[in-house]
Amino acid sequence: MRYIIIIGCGKTGKNLALELSREENVVVVDKSLKSLDSLGDDFNGKKIWADALDINTFEKAEAKGADAVYLLTGNDNINLVVGKVVKRKYGVKKVILQVNDAMKKKIFKEEGLTIVNRTYLIAEVLKKCILS
Amino acid sequence: MYIVIAGAGRLGLILGKKLKEDKHQVCLIDKSETLCNKLAGELQDILVIKGDATYPEILREAKIEKADVCVSATSNDEDNTIVCYLAKELFGVKRTVARVNDPKHIPLYKYMEVDNPVDSTSIIARVVEEEASFTDVMSLLSIKKGRLSIVRVDIPQTSPVANKALKDISLPHNSVLVSILRGPDIIIPYGSTVILPGDEVIAAALIDVEKELIKALIGKI
Repeated sequence: MRYIIIIGCGKTGKNLALELSREENVVVVDKSLKSLDSLGDDFNGKKIWADALDINTFEKAEAKGADAVYLLTGNDNINLVVGKVVKRKYGVKKVILQVNDAMKKKIFKEEGLTIVNRTYLIAEVLKKCILS
Repeated sequence: MYIVIAGAGRLGLILGKKLKEDKHQVCLIDKSETLCNKLAGELQDILVIKGDATYPEILREAKIEKADVCVSATSNDEDNTIVCYLAKELFGVKRTVARVNDPKHIPLYKYMEVDNPVDSTSIIARVVEEEASFTDVMSLLSIKKGRLSIVRVDIPQTSPVANKALKDISLPHNSVLVSILRGPDIIIPYGSTVILPGDEVIAAALIDVEKELIKALIGKI
């Protein structure tokens, strides 16, 4: 089982957490208790109610041993800063972050950081619809 | 110098005005259109740009590549780190300074290589603590983010140093008596200078020995 940390329990984070927790060891972090509660009883993992910008949160979540960290808060800047710091401080192999601004995606490119842009993804899917 | 300030809230604005008074060139960036319109009318010689400073194109508009210093003073720590990071990595600004809103977020600033994170909350907390705890001690100045502090201490009758010559007094390491104010006189002390009750002593100390120094001068805390 892999150890996976998900930061941000919005729509995307929640879906991913529910999906992954069936087979992997998942920890979800959010600053809103309500968002964490929305995971419901089906969620088979750990929940941490904390601020992602506080480095202690990652100590609590044992980021050092994580196979992957997902950054899915709705805030590009939080995802970028925390993504970089997690990579630098804990050397997590796979750091995946959602960034909605395409420009920032380019600037913050770094080895080991996977930056996912929603608009780009949807455009790709839409393109494929007419190609197949 | 040319200084770009992100965030024209209370801190950014005061800073901008002060720097302008000191004849620096200043550019203020803020997200709020209402605020920017208001400031553009009020401030004559300060360039005001409306926009989100975490976007490189806004920083480019501010000609940040020509800036000597970039200050990020918004109320969001994630935004401040990003602004400083972009200024440095993308535009080669030599010196970045940021306001830290929550002391818990300081490590972020360190990992993102912000040159000078200024932790306003802790600084204010320290000042308030001082004001609340001692009456006969006054902090006059703190230098290097509060690491060196200069204090004024009123010497009470019961002071362990009263009526003693300076050479017979032991003060903590990393502290020094700068001068003695006695009535109208200002005395620069030597080894033979005697401290009298009622004197006001100006002393400098590194912050970690400040309390020890005060204790040495007034006997209690």
